[in-house]
Amino acid sequence: MRHAFAVRVGPASFRIGSAWRAPVEALADLYRDYPPATVPDFTVRLEPTRPWRRWLRPSVAIAGDFTLPEAAPLPLAQALLAAEMGMNLQMALGWRRHLLLHAAAVERDGRALLISGESGAGKSTLASLLATRGWRFMGDEFALLDPASGTLAPFPRPASLKNASIALAGEGRWGPLLEGTPKGDIRHRVPDRAAIDAMDRGATPALILFPRFGEAAAARAVAPSEAFARLTQASTNYQMLGEAGFVALTRLVRDVPAVAIDYPDTATAIALIEERWA
Amino acid sequence: MRYRAPPATALATVRLDEFTAVYHRPSGATHLLVEPAPEILAALVEPLTLDELADRLAATYELAGDAGALVARVDELVAAGLVAPA
Amino acid sequence: MSDDAPPDDPGSTSRRALMLGAVGASAIVSIRPALAQTAGSVLTCSIPVPDPGRAGSWIAADGRTVPAGTKGAFPAGATFRGEDVRRALNGGQLPGTTYDRSRAYVNYIRRLQRGQGGFTCFASLQMPRG
Repeated sequence: MRHAFAVRVGPASFRIGSAWRAPVEALADLYRDYPPATVPDFTVRLEPTRPWRRWLRPSVAIAGDFTLPEAAPLPLAQALLAAEMGMNLQMALGWRRHLLLHAAAVERDGRALLISGESGAGKSTLASLLATRGWRFMGDEFALLDPASGTLAPFPRPASLKNASIALAGEGRWGPLLEGTPKGDIRHRVPDRAAIDAMDRGATPALILFPRFGEAAAARAVAPSEAFARLTQASTNYQMLGEAGFVALTRLVRDVPAVAIDYPDTATAIALIEERWA
Repeated sequence: MRYRAPPATALATVRLDEFTAVYHRPSGATHLLVEPAPEILAALVEPLTLDELADRLAATYELAGDAGALVARVDELVAAGLVAPA
Repeated sequence: MSDDAPPDDPGSTSRRALMLGAVGASAIVSIRPALAQTAGSVLTCSIPVPDPGRAGSWIAADGRTVPAGTKGAFPAGATFRGEDVRRALNGGQLPGTTYDRSRAYVNYIRRLQRGQGGFTCFASLQMPRG
Protein backbone atom coordinates (compact mmCIF):
# COMPACT_ATOMS: atom_id res chain seq x y z
CA MET A 1 0.00 0.00 0.00
CA ARG A 2 1.23 3.45 -0.91
CA HIS A 3 0.41 5.26 2.32
CA ALA A 4 0.45 4.00 5.87
CA PHE A 5 -0.31 5.18 9.38
CA ALA A 6 0.24 3.43 12.71
CA VAL A 7 -1.31 4.22 16.08
CA ARG A 8 -1.85 2.69 19.51
CA VAL A 9 -5.16 3.08 21.33
CA GLY A 10 -5.14 1.60 24.81
CA PRO A 11 -3.81 -1.97 24.57
CA ALA A 12 -4.36 -2.33 20.81
CA SER A 13 -2.14 -1.14 17.96
CA PHE A 14 -3.19 -0.66 14.36
CA ARG A 15 -1.44 -0.17 11.07
CA ILE A 16 -3.67 1.42 8.46
CA GLY A 17 -2.65 1.22 4.84
CA SER A 18 -4.34 3.32 2.20
CA ALA A 19 -4.28 3.57 -1.57
CA TRP A 20 -4.89 7.31 -1.16
CA ARG A 21 -2.89 9.89 0.74
CA ALA A 22 -5.77 11.99 2.06
CA PRO A 23 -7.17 9.46 4.57
CA VAL A 24 -3.72 8.87 6.07
CA GLU A 25 -3.20 12.61 6.45
CA ALA A 26 -6.61 12.94 8.11
CA LEU A 27 -5.82 10.08 10.49
CA ALA A 28 -2.41 11.51 11.36
CA ASP A 29 -4.06 14.79 12.24
CA LEU A 30 -6.94 13.28 14.24
CA TYR A 31 -4.57 11.02 16.19
CA ARG A 32 -1.66 13.42 16.56
CA ASP A 33 -1.71 13.24 20.38
CA TYR A 34 -1.74 9.44 20.40
CA PRO A 35 1.36 7.24 20.79
CA PRO A 36 2.64 5.70 17.57
CA ALA A 37 2.38 1.95 17.21
CA THR A 38 5.52 -0.15 16.98
CA VAL A 39 4.40 -3.68 16.25
CA PRO A 40 0.74 -3.55 15.24
CA ASP A 41 -1.86 -6.05 16.49
CA PHE A 42 -3.98 -5.47 13.41
CA THR A 43 -3.75 -4.22 9.86
CA VAL A 44 -6.53 -2.27 8.19
CA ARG A 45 -6.42 -1.54 4.47
CA LEU A 46 -8.41 1.08 2.63
CA GLU A 47 -8.53 -0.20 -0.95
CA PRO A 48 -10.28 0.76 -4.14
CA THR A 49 -13.18 -1.59 -4.93
CA ARG A 50 -11.85 -2.00 -8.44
CA PRO A 51 -8.49 -0.76 -9.73
CA TRP A 52 -10.03 2.11 -11.68
CA ARG A 53 -12.07 3.18 -8.62
CA ARG A 54 -8.89 4.59 -7.22
CA TRP A 55 -9.50 7.59 -9.43
CA LEU A 56 -13.01 7.32 -10.88
CA ARG A 57 -15.68 8.08 -8.22
CA PRO A 58 -13.18 6.78 -5.70
CA SER A 59 -14.69 4.12 -3.53
CA VAL A 60 -13.08 2.74 -0.40
CA ALA A 61 -13.41 -0.92 0.48
CA ILE A 62 -12.43 -1.87 4.01
CA ALA A 63 -9.98 -4.75 4.17
CA GLY A 64 -7.65 -6.05 6.81
CA ASP A 65 -6.74 -9.03 8.94
CA PHE A 66 -10.43 -9.55 9.62
CA THR A 67 -13.16 -8.78 7.10
CA LEU A 68 -16.87 -9.22 6.68
CA PRO A 69 -17.74 -9.94 3.07
CA GLU A 70 -20.97 -7.97 3.04
CA ALA A 71 -19.41 -4.62 3.90
CA ALA A 72 -20.57 -1.85 1.60
CA PRO A 73 -17.78 0.45 0.32
CA LEU A 74 -17.72 4.16 1.14
CA PRO A 75 -16.88 7.23 -0.95
CA LEU A 76 -13.36 8.57 -0.50
CA ALA A 77 -14.68 11.64 1.33
CA GLN A 78 -15.78 9.30 4.12
CA ALA A 79 -12.48 7.43 4.37
CA LEU A 80 -12.04 8.43 8.03
CA LEU A 81 -15.26 6.59 8.74
CA ALA A 82 -14.00 3.63 6.73
CA ALA A 83 -10.81 3.56 8.79
CA GLU A 84 -12.80 3.66 12.02
CA MET A 85 -15.05 0.84 10.83
CA GLY A 86 -11.99 -1.12 9.82
CA MET A 87 -10.48 -0.74 13.27
CA ASN A 88 -13.79 -1.66 14.89
CA LEU A 89 -13.95 -4.78 12.78
CA GLN A 90 -10.45 -5.88 13.80
CA MET A 91 -11.29 -5.42 17.48
CA ALA A 92 -14.72 -7.01 17.21
CA LEU A 93 -13.52 -10.11 15.41
CA GLY A 94 -9.92 -10.40 16.56
CA TRP A 95 -9.40 -9.09 20.10
CA ARG A 96 -9.22 -11.80 22.70
CA ARG A 97 -7.36 -10.26 25.61
CA HIS A 98 -10.51 -8.68 27.03
CA LEU A 99 -14.23 -9.32 26.95
CA LEU A 100 -15.42 -6.65 24.52
CA LEU A 101 -18.63 -4.83 25.32
CA HIS A 102 -20.22 -2.50 22.81
CA ALA A 103 -20.37 0.28 25.36
CA ALA A 104 -18.97 3.66 26.29
CA ALA A 105 -17.03 4.13 29.51
CA VAL A 106 -16.07 7.12 31.63
CA GLU A 107 -14.14 7.17 34.90
CA ARG A 108 -14.30 9.19 38.08
CA ASP A 109 -12.14 8.57 41.15
CA GLY A 110 -10.92 5.26 39.80
CA ARG A 111 -14.45 3.94 39.26
CA ALA A 112 -16.04 3.49 35.87
CA LEU A 113 -19.50 4.05 34.46
CA LEU A 114 -20.32 1.63 31.65
CA ILE A 115 -22.91 2.89 29.16
CA SER A 116 -24.38 0.10 27.05
CA GLY A 117 -26.92 0.48 24.28
CA GLU A 118 -27.71 0.13 20.62
CA SER A 119 -26.90 2.78 18.04
CA GLY A 120 -28.86 5.91 18.84
CA ALA A 121 -29.21 5.22 22.56
CA GLY A 122 -26.70 7.98 23.24
CA LYS A 123 -23.56 6.19 24.38
CA SER A 124 -21.13 8.41 22.50
CA THR A 125 -23.00 11.62 23.26
CA LEU A 126 -23.37 10.93 26.97
CA ALA A 127 -19.76 9.82 27.34
CA SER A 128 -18.51 12.91 25.52
CA LEU A 129 -20.69 15.21 27.60
CA LEU A 130 -19.61 13.59 30.86
CA ALA A 131 -16.02 14.07 29.72
CA THR A 132 -16.64 17.82 29.71
CA ARG A 133 -17.90 17.58 33.30
CA GLY A 134 -14.86 16.16 35.00
CA TRP A 135 -15.10 12.49 34.02
CA ARG A 136 -12.26 10.79 32.19
CA PHE A 137 -13.22 9.52 28.74
CA MET A 138 -12.29 5.84 28.35
CA GLY A 139 -14.01 5.11 25.04
CA ASP A 140 -17.33 5.31 23.22
CA GLU A 141 -17.30 2.15 21.10
CA PHE A 142 -15.74 -0.69 23.07
CA ALA A 143 -15.35 -1.25 26.78
CA LEU A 144 -12.59 -3.76 27.47
CA LEU A 145 -13.22 -5.98 30.51
CA ASP A 146 -10.16 -7.83 31.81
CA PRO A 147 -11.32 -11.41 32.57
CA ALA A 148 -8.63 -11.89 35.19
CA SER A 149 -9.03 -8.72 37.24
CA GLY A 150 -12.52 -7.48 36.36
CA THR A 151 -11.20 -4.00 35.62
CA LEU A 152 -11.89 -1.99 32.48
CA ALA A 153 -9.05 -1.01 30.17
CA PRO A 154 -9.43 2.25 28.24
CA PHE A 155 -9.88 2.32 24.47
CA PRO A 156 -10.13 6.10 24.11
CA ARG A 157 -10.40 6.53 20.38
CA PRO A 158 -11.98 9.76 19.13
CA ALA A 159 -15.72 9.56 19.78
CA SER A 160 -17.91 9.26 16.74
CA LEU A 161 -20.83 11.68 17.08
CA LYS A 162 -23.79 11.81 14.74
CA ASN A 163 -26.19 14.44 13.47
CA ALA A 164 -27.71 16.46 16.31
CA SER A 165 -25.20 15.15 18.83
CA ILE A 166 -22.42 16.97 17.03
CA ALA A 167 -23.79 20.29 18.29
CA LEU A 168 -24.36 18.94 21.79
CA ALA A 169 -21.01 17.59 22.78
CA GLY A 170 -19.39 20.90 23.48
CA GLU A 171 -15.87 22.12 23.24
CA GLY A 172 -12.80 20.13 22.32
CA ARG A 173 -10.91 19.27 19.19
CA TRP A 174 -12.88 17.85 16.31
CA GLY A 175 -12.15 16.00 13.09
CA PRO A 176 -13.71 17.05 9.80
CA LEU A 177 -17.46 16.89 9.24
CA LEU A 178 -18.34 13.79 7.22
CA GLU A 179 -21.69 14.42 5.60
CA GLY A 180 -24.18 11.97 4.22
CA THR A 181 -22.59 8.77 5.49
CA PRO A 182 -24.73 5.65 5.93
CA LYS A 183 -24.91 6.60 9.62
CA GLY A 184 -25.84 10.23 8.91
CA ASP A 185 -23.53 13.21 9.41
CA ILE A 186 -20.56 12.27 11.57
CA ARG A 187 -17.81 14.17 13.32
CA HIS A 188 -15.07 12.74 15.52
CA ARG A 189 -14.39 14.43 18.83
CA VAL A 190 -10.82 13.98 20.04
CA PRO A 191 -10.62 13.19 23.76
CA ASP A 192 -8.74 15.72 25.84
CA ARG A 193 -5.03 15.23 26.32
CA ALA A 194 -5.36 13.93 29.88
CA ALA A 195 -7.68 11.13 28.74
CA ILE A 196 -5.30 10.14 25.93
CA ASP A 197 -2.29 10.20 28.24
CA ALA A 198 -4.16 7.99 30.73
CA MET A 199 -4.90 5.31 28.14
CA ASP A 200 -3.00 2.69 30.13
CA ARG A 201 -4.78 3.34 33.42
CA GLY A 202 -7.73 1.02 34.06
CA ALA A 203 -10.73 1.54 36.31
CA THR A 204 -13.06 -0.65 38.38
CA PRO A 205 -16.61 -0.79 36.98
CA ALA A 206 -19.04 0.69 39.49
CA LEU A 207 -22.30 1.22 37.58
CA ILE A 208 -23.80 -0.20 34.39
CA LEU A 209 -26.18 2.11 32.54
CA PHE A 210 -28.70 1.17 29.84
CA PRO A 211 -29.95 4.49 28.46
CA ARG A 212 -32.83 4.98 26.06
CA PHE A 213 -33.27 8.31 24.31
CA GLY A 214 -36.53 9.94 23.41
CA GLU A 215 -38.74 8.99 26.33
CA ALA A 216 -39.96 10.82 29.43
CA ALA A 217 -37.45 10.67 32.28
CA ALA A 218 -37.55 7.38 34.14
CA ALA A 219 -35.13 5.07 35.90
CA ARG A 220 -35.34 1.52 37.14
CA ALA A 221 -32.90 -1.00 38.57
CA VAL A 222 -31.93 -3.80 36.20
CA ALA A 223 -31.61 -7.25 37.75
CA PRO A 224 -28.28 -9.06 37.27
CA SER A 225 -29.83 -11.70 35.01
CA GLU A 226 -31.26 -9.05 32.71
CA ALA A 227 -27.98 -7.14 32.66
CA PHE A 228 -26.20 -10.40 31.88
CA ALA A 229 -28.48 -11.25 28.96
CA ARG A 230 -28.29 -7.73 27.53
CA LEU A 231 -24.51 -7.58 27.84
CA THR A 232 -24.02 -10.93 26.09
CA GLN A 233 -25.86 -9.35 23.18
CA ALA A 234 -23.67 -6.27 23.45
CA SER A 235 -20.46 -8.31 23.27
CA THR A 236 -18.70 -9.20 20.04
CA ASN A 237 -16.51 -11.88 21.58
CA TYR A 238 -18.43 -13.38 24.50
CA GLN A 239 -18.80 -16.70 22.66
CA MET A 240 -15.20 -16.75 21.53
CA LEU A 241 -13.81 -16.33 25.03
CA GLY A 242 -15.69 -19.40 26.25
CA GLU A 243 -15.72 -19.98 29.99
CA ALA A 244 -13.46 -16.99 30.65
CA GLY A 245 -16.14 -14.78 29.14
CA PHE A 246 -18.84 -16.47 31.24
CA VAL A 247 -16.85 -15.96 34.43
CA ALA A 248 -15.99 -12.34 33.61
CA LEU A 249 -19.54 -11.37 32.75
CA THR A 250 -21.27 -13.18 35.64
CA ARG A 251 -18.80 -11.56 38.03
CA LEU A 252 -19.47 -8.13 36.50
CA VAL A 253 -23.25 -8.34 36.87
CA ARG A 254 -23.05 -9.75 40.39
CA ASP A 255 -20.58 -7.12 41.60
CA VAL A 256 -21.85 -4.05 39.77
CA PRO A 257 -25.38 -2.61 39.95
CA ALA A 258 -27.21 -1.84 36.71
CA VAL A 259 -29.82 0.78 35.97
CA ALA A 260 -31.93 1.58 32.90
CA ILE A 261 -32.86 5.18 32.24
CA ASP A 262 -35.17 6.84 29.77
CA TYR A 263 -34.34 10.41 28.96
CA PRO A 264 -35.85 13.14 26.78
CA ASP A 265 -32.65 15.21 26.61
CA THR A 266 -29.03 14.91 27.64
CA ALA A 267 -29.29 17.31 30.58
CA THR A 268 -31.89 15.01 32.14
CA ALA A 269 -29.69 11.99 31.47
CA ILE A 270 -26.68 13.62 33.11
CA ALA A 271 -28.81 14.49 36.15
CA LEU A 272 -30.16 10.93 36.41
CA ILE A 273 -26.63 9.55 36.16
CA GLU A 274 -25.05 11.86 38.69
CA GLU A 275 -27.90 11.16 41.11
CA ARG A 276 -27.12 7.46 41.04
CA TRP A 277 -23.36 7.80 41.15
CA ALA A 278 -22.65 7.47 44.86
CA MET B 1 -36.66 -43.63 29.07
CA ARG B 2 -34.32 -42.26 31.71
CA TYR B 3 -32.85 -38.79 31.69
CA ARG B 4 -29.66 -37.52 33.21
CA ALA B 5 -27.90 -34.22 33.75
CA PRO B 6 -24.29 -33.70 32.70
CA PRO B 7 -21.60 -34.58 35.25
CA ALA B 8 -20.72 -31.74 37.62
CA THR B 9 -17.45 -31.10 35.80
CA ALA B 10 -19.37 -30.26 32.63
CA LEU B 11 -21.17 -27.24 34.09
CA ALA B 12 -20.16 -23.90 35.58
CA THR B 13 -23.09 -22.48 37.51
CA VAL B 14 -23.57 -18.98 38.90
CA ARG B 15 -26.69 -17.89 40.76
CA LEU B 16 -27.53 -14.36 39.62
CA ASP B 17 -30.98 -13.69 41.04
CA GLU B 18 -34.07 -15.79 40.35
CA PHE B 19 -32.09 -16.81 37.27
CA THR B 20 -29.09 -19.10 37.38
CA ALA B 21 -26.45 -18.73 34.66
CA VAL B 22 -25.06 -22.02 33.42
CA TYR B 23 -22.07 -22.54 31.14
CA HIS B 24 -22.06 -25.94 29.50
CA ARG B 25 -18.42 -26.75 28.89
CA PRO B 26 -18.80 -29.45 26.23
CA SER B 27 -20.86 -27.18 23.97
CA GLY B 28 -19.59 -23.74 25.05
CA ALA B 29 -23.21 -22.65 25.33
CA THR B 30 -24.57 -20.35 28.02
CA HIS B 31 -28.10 -20.60 29.37
CA LEU B 32 -30.12 -18.71 31.93
CA LEU B 33 -32.28 -21.07 33.95
CA VAL B 34 -35.19 -20.27 36.17
CA GLU B 35 -37.12 -22.53 38.55
CA PRO B 36 -37.69 -25.45 38.18
CA ALA B 37 -34.86 -26.06 35.68
CA PRO B 38 -31.94 -25.88 38.16
CA GLU B 39 -33.82 -28.12 40.59
CA ILE B 40 -34.52 -30.66 37.84
CA LEU B 41 -30.83 -30.64 36.84
CA ALA B 42 -29.86 -31.26 40.45
CA ALA B 43 -32.31 -34.16 40.74
CA LEU B 44 -31.03 -35.75 37.53
CA VAL B 45 -27.57 -36.25 38.98
CA GLU B 46 -28.50 -39.89 38.55
CA PRO B 47 -30.56 -41.18 35.62
CA LEU B 48 -34.30 -41.09 36.32
CA THR B 49 -37.49 -41.69 34.39
CA LEU B 50 -40.03 -38.87 34.35
CA ASP B 51 -42.09 -40.60 37.04
CA GLU B 52 -39.03 -41.12 39.22
CA LEU B 53 -38.09 -37.49 38.69
CA ALA B 54 -41.55 -36.33 39.77
CA ASP B 55 -41.33 -38.49 42.89
CA ARG B 56 -37.83 -37.29 43.67
CA LEU B 57 -38.85 -33.66 43.38
CA ALA B 58 -42.07 -34.21 45.35
CA ALA B 59 -40.01 -35.63 48.21
CA THR B 60 -38.32 -32.26 48.64
CA TYR B 61 -40.79 -29.75 47.24
CA GLU B 62 -44.48 -29.05 47.07
CA LEU B 63 -44.97 -29.41 43.31
CA ALA B 64 -47.19 -26.75 41.79
CA GLY B 65 -48.18 -27.74 38.29
CA ASP B 66 -49.06 -30.94 36.50
CA ALA B 67 -47.19 -33.78 34.88
CA GLY B 68 -47.54 -32.08 31.52
CA ALA B 69 -45.55 -29.12 32.80
CA LEU B 70 -42.78 -31.36 34.11
CA VAL B 71 -42.51 -33.10 30.74
CA ALA B 72 -42.30 -29.69 29.03
CA ARG B 73 -39.51 -28.62 31.36
CA VAL B 74 -37.51 -31.80 30.75
CA ASP B 75 -38.03 -31.51 26.98
CA GLU B 76 -36.71 -27.97 27.14
CA LEU B 77 -33.61 -29.08 28.98
CA VAL B 78 -33.07 -31.80 26.39
CA ALA B 79 -33.51 -29.29 23.55
CA ALA B 80 -30.96 -26.99 25.21
CA GLY B 81 -28.48 -29.85 25.39
CA LEU B 82 -28.40 -29.86 29.18
CA VAL B 83 -30.19 -33.16 29.76
CA ALA B 84 -29.62 -36.31 27.78
CA PRO B 85 -31.49 -39.58 27.55
CA ALA B 86 -29.50 -42.05 29.66
CA MET C 1 -32.88 -24.61 48.07
CA SER C 2 -33.71 -27.92 49.82
CA ASP C 3 -35.96 -28.43 52.79
CA ASP C 4 -35.93 -31.03 55.50
CA ALA C 5 -39.66 -31.73 55.70
CA PRO C 6 -40.32 -35.46 56.14
CA PRO C 7 -41.90 -36.94 52.98
CA ASP C 8 -44.46 -38.92 54.95
CA ASP C 9 -46.22 -35.78 56.19
CA PRO C 10 -48.67 -34.92 53.37
CA GLY C 11 -50.31 -32.07 55.26
CA SER C 12 -47.03 -30.28 55.93
CA THR C 13 -46.60 -26.76 54.53
CA SER C 14 -42.94 -26.51 55.48
CA ARG C 15 -41.69 -27.68 52.07
CA ARG C 16 -41.02 -24.96 49.57
CA ALA C 17 -43.28 -24.85 46.53
CA LEU C 18 -41.62 -25.65 43.22
CA MET C 19 -43.36 -23.95 40.31
CA LEU C 20 -43.31 -26.28 37.34
CA GLY C 21 -44.71 -23.58 35.10
CA ALA C 22 -47.11 -23.91 32.21
CA VAL C 23 -46.72 -26.26 29.28
CA GLY C 24 -46.31 -23.36 26.85
CA ALA C 25 -43.95 -21.37 29.02
CA SER C 26 -40.19 -21.63 29.25
CA ALA C 27 -37.66 -21.96 32.06
CA ILE C 28 -34.56 -21.61 29.89
CA VAL C 29 -33.13 -18.66 27.99
CA SER C 30 -30.29 -19.82 25.79
CA ILE C 31 -27.78 -17.14 24.93
CA ARG C 32 -27.38 -16.82 21.17
CA PRO C 33 -24.19 -15.64 19.50
CA ALA C 34 -24.35 -11.89 19.24
CA LEU C 35 -21.74 -11.00 16.67
CA ALA C 36 -24.41 -10.16 14.15
CA GLN C 37 -25.99 -7.53 16.37
CA THR C 38 -22.80 -5.69 17.12
CA ALA C 39 -21.52 -6.06 13.58
CA GLY C 40 -24.27 -3.64 12.62
CA SER C 41 -22.50 -0.84 14.40
CA VAL C 42 -19.23 -1.91 12.91
CA LEU C 43 -20.23 -2.00 9.33
CA THR C 44 -22.54 -0.73 6.71
CA CYS C 45 -23.87 -3.71 4.87
CA SER C 46 -26.14 -4.71 2.08
CA ILE C 47 -28.44 -7.62 1.34
CA PRO C 48 -28.75 -9.10 -2.15
CA VAL C 49 -32.20 -10.32 -3.17
CA PRO C 50 -31.87 -13.17 -3.96
CA ASP C 51 -28.42 -14.22 -2.77
CA PRO C 52 -25.83 -14.81 -5.49
CA GLY C 53 -26.26 -18.57 -5.17
CA ARG C 54 -29.83 -18.19 -6.36
CA ALA C 55 -29.28 -15.62 -9.08
CA GLY C 56 -32.03 -15.78 -11.66
CA SER C 57 -34.72 -16.99 -9.27
CA TRP C 58 -37.85 -15.00 -8.63
CA ILE C 59 -39.34 -14.24 -5.24
CA ALA C 60 -42.82 -15.47 -4.31
CA ALA C 61 -45.11 -13.33 -2.18
CA ASP C 62 -44.22 -15.36 0.92
CA GLY C 63 -40.50 -14.89 0.34
CA ARG C 64 -39.55 -18.27 -1.06
CA THR C 65 -37.32 -18.37 -4.11
CA VAL C 66 -39.06 -19.91 -7.11
CA PRO C 67 -38.11 -20.53 -10.75
CA ALA C 68 -38.15 -17.47 -12.98
CA GLY C 69 -41.51 -16.91 -14.60
CA THR C 70 -43.53 -18.47 -11.76
CA LYS C 71 -47.01 -16.97 -11.72
CA GLY C 72 -47.54 -14.43 -8.98
CA ALA C 73 -43.83 -14.18 -8.16
CA PHE C 74 -41.59 -11.16 -8.64
CA PRO C 75 -38.40 -10.91 -10.64
CA ALA C 76 -35.45 -10.03 -8.46
CA GLY C 77 -31.80 -9.17 -8.75
CA ALA C 78 -31.28 -6.10 -6.60
CA THR C 79 -29.13 -5.32 -3.60
CA PHE C 80 -30.50 -3.22 -0.77
CA ARG C 81 -28.62 -1.18 1.82
CA GLY C 82 -28.96 -2.21 5.44
CA GLU C 83 -30.59 1.11 6.34
CA ASP C 84 -33.33 0.61 3.73
CA VAL C 85 -33.96 -2.95 4.85
CA ARG C 86 -34.22 -1.86 8.47
CA ARG C 87 -36.85 0.69 7.49
CA ALA C 88 -38.74 -1.90 5.47
CA LEU C 89 -38.66 -4.33 8.39
CA ASN C 90 -40.33 -1.64 10.46
CA GLY C 91 -43.18 -1.08 8.02
CA GLY C 92 -41.62 1.00 5.26
CA GLN C 93 -41.05 0.06 1.66
CA LEU C 94 -37.85 -0.90 -0.09
CA PRO C 95 -36.70 1.76 -2.56
CA GLY C 96 -37.55 1.17 -6.19
CA THR C 97 -40.28 -1.39 -5.46
CA THR C 98 -44.04 -1.52 -5.39
CA TYR C 99 -45.86 -2.37 -2.17
CA ASP C 100 -46.36 -6.05 -3.09
CA ARG C 101 -42.87 -6.54 -4.43
CA SER C 102 -41.40 -4.94 -1.33
CA ARG C 103 -43.40 -7.28 0.90
CA ALA C 104 -42.18 -10.29 -1.06
CA TYR C 105 -38.58 -9.16 -0.81
CA VAL C 106 -38.92 -8.47 2.91
CA ASN C 107 -40.37 -11.94 3.41
CA TYR C 108 -37.41 -13.34 1.52
CA ILE C 109 -35.05 -11.44 3.80
CA ARG C 110 -36.83 -12.62 6.92
CA ARG C 111 -36.31 -16.20 5.84
CA LEU C 112 -32.55 -15.89 5.44
CA GLN C 113 -30.53 -18.55 7.20
CA ARG C 114 -26.98 -18.46 8.45
CA GLY C 115 -24.68 -19.15 5.50
CA GLN C 116 -26.83 -17.39 2.94
CA GLY C 117 -25.66 -14.14 1.46
CA GLY C 118 -27.03 -11.23 3.46
CA PHE C 119 -27.73 -13.17 6.66
CA THR C 120 -25.12 -11.39 8.78
CA CYS C 121 -26.40 -8.05 7.60
CA PHE C 122 -30.03 -9.03 8.25
CA ALA C 123 -29.25 -10.33 11.72
CA SER C 124 -27.33 -7.16 12.53
CA LEU C 125 -30.41 -5.06 11.75
CA GLN C 126 -32.44 -6.73 14.44
CA MET C 127 -30.73 -5.28 17.44
CA PRO C 128 -32.66 -5.64 20.65
CA ARG C 129 -34.34 -2.45 21.81
CA GLY C 130 -32.39 -0.63 24.47
